[in-house]
Amino acid sequence: MTARARRRISLDGGVLEPGYRRINSMEELKYSDILRLNDQLGKGLTGNPYHIAVLSNITVAFIKELLEYPLRKAGVSARVALGDFDNVVQDSLKYKDAHAVLVFWELSNVMDGLPVRAELMEDHDYQQVVDKAKAQIDLVITHLKGTSVVLMNQFTAMPFSSGKISQSRYGSLAVELNAYLREALLENMRLIDMDKLISVFGLERSVDWRYYYSSKSLYTVEFFKAYAAEVTPWMLAVNGKSKKVLVFDCDNTLWKGILGEDGFDQIEMSAQSKNGVIFEEVQLMALALQRQGVLIGLCSKNNADEVDRVIRDHSQMVLRDEHITIKRVNWLDKVQNLKSIAEELDVGLDSIVFVDDSSFEVNLVRANLPQVVVLQVPLRLCDYPAMMRQHLPLFQQMTVTSEDRRKAELYRQRAQREKVRDAFAGVEDYLASLGIEVTVFVDQMSLSARMAQMTQKTNQFNLTARRYSEADIRQMVSDEKYVVLAMGVSDKYGDEGVVGLGIVRLEDQGSFAHIETYLMSCRVIGRNIEFAFIDHLVRMLEHKGVHRIFAKHIKTPRNSMVKDLYDRCGFVQVASLETETDYELELSRYKGCRPTYIGVKDGK
Amino acid sequence: MENRIKNVMSAVFRVPVGSLGDAPSQGTLDVWDSLSHMQLVVALEEEFGVSFDDEDILQMQSLAEITAVLERCSGKG
Repeated sequence: MTARARRRISLDGGVLEPGYRRINSMEELKYSDILRLNDQLGKGLTGNPYHIAVLSNITVAFIKELLEYPLRKAGVSARVALGDFDNVVQDSLKYKDAHAVLVFWELSNVMDGLPVRAELMEDHDYQQVVDKAKAQIDLVITHLKGTSVVLMNQFTAMPFSSGKISQSRYGSLAVELNAYLREALLENMRLIDMDKLISVFGLERSVDWRYYYSSKSLYTVEFFKAYAAEVTPWMLAVNGKSKKVLVFDCDNTLWKGILGEDGFDQIEMSAQSKNGVIFEEVQLMALALQRQGVLIGLCSKNNADEVDRVIRDHSQMVLRDEHITIKRVNWLDKVQNLKSIAEELDVGLDSIVFVDDSSFEVNLVRANLPQVVVLQVPLRLCDYPAMMRQHLPLFQQMTVTSEDRRKAELYRQRAQREKVRDAFAGVEDYLASLGIEVTVFVDQMSLSARMAQMTQKTNQFNLTARRYSEADIRQMVSDEKYVVLAMGVSDKYGDEGVVGLGIVRLEDQGSFAHIETYLMSCRVIGRNIEFAFIDHLVRMLEHKGVHRIFAKHIKTPRNSMVKDLYDRCGFVQVASLETETDYELELSRYKGCRPTYIGVKDGK
Repeated sequence: MENRIKNVMSAVFRVPVGSLGDAPSQGTLDVWDSLSHMQLVVALEEEFGVSFDDEDILQMQSLAEITAVLERCSGKG
């Protein structure tokens, strides 16, 4: 079979190579199958429900299950509520407490017959339409300013364009309102580019006129599948489901050619050669991801020293040692290697994306590690960068913080520490030698983005697994009833940045306190700093006049490592349920739990 | 064909196939309203790889009528 014959046509008309699959592959499922599968997933939902409200001024009946299904499949207990038809402004108030609000605003229905009437209107009537729409945008944005995540459609004139968008008044209306939207947008809000979605998909296949005039439904079910694929990465990101590690094979994946056969001088990865240019682009994409905090790894069957020499000395390499956090270059099987990568980095297998050119390796990993997203280098090499680009949303985050940009460096410092650890007899001796210092920042507004991100990304050392947006955190920081503590850590090898968070709610004029959130980034686990942090938190509350502290361990599939944390800090169990364990601490009985070798200071 | 249609109905209306009855129609199923009708039409189109026109859509108010429309579509095609 030739490469040409093996290609198959995807549902969206593009040419797909094996392994070139869409992120949530919903387009391969029939709508009725999605309804059925979504119902099944709905029966087994566990964990905190994630409430999404969809507000629209047209009929968007298809969207409910198409949003729920990919999120539920990724382990988010998504529940979508549809607002009332054409009631966006009022509903934005009604649903402001949902975890996420999606505003599907359709320009053509802002006023009956608007696409054509816009051309006929007197200037002052047209201006009234503009002013009214802007006023509604203002109201919706004001109502939703405290909502965790808000995704809003940009207005599109495309369904009603006649091939001269630039001259139509309806087209300029969309342009003007979009400019207004972008100006008014708050940091918890993102825009969905409808023009892009429709153009990728094709207008004919995006729009179904049969229900527009009778039921005010405009878009096809196929379009909504693509739309859902565009918006769900944001919701996965705030639920800690973004991918964290990108692992490459080497030969014919990072460069053209086989190092062991073609040799150091023959492999290609630069724009100077025909095939090399493609690999250079892929390496540059990996570098850009690395800058946002994605960890880059290698998993290749090769001689380690030869690959090391390429990384160090090859003039065309983009990715160098300082960008690559982890390497498994050996002759073991890739399933074992990927498992050990997950273990060493302390991430779940479901945080890993693996890229390889060999069908054998791709199928082996897919069959044995279904949690890993496996991408195959397309047979048509020119499709490779586009395939990678299409999967970038897997790594999506709401915000990128300075900790993200430094992440690769931080992991390297950790590796150094671990090397030294082996030289010490006992762990405590070793920890004492590090000169660990904890800095506690109280109600520090400037750390809100990082604090929100930690609640979204931390799964293992997270006592309650509550997720907050930056807006939520800002609100608690400024609320007197809450004390929000961030923890920074440094030692003689370097500064880890902000790696821990405690959120305390005060009650009864401050005589009781509830620890709502207590979490720590997994890269600092094993240094006993959690005890120093909680000790500081308890002392501080005592100083504020608190008599009793309540705390909880809410059980999730990933946080069993903290199941006895509060016991070890001297809290007393008062109730143990299947889903959570409740604790109390009477401050008069508190004995302290800070290890003597950890220093604690107040941050500014 | 009837079984395939019933399977689609069951998914769209969230009713087990067994409780659809022998002759499900807009009269016998409360959940079959104008909104779910739209979902049903789209799901049937995907299932059978066809595209209905306006008159078909209006006519398809029972299993028997859906079957008739689909037979006509496949006869045409």
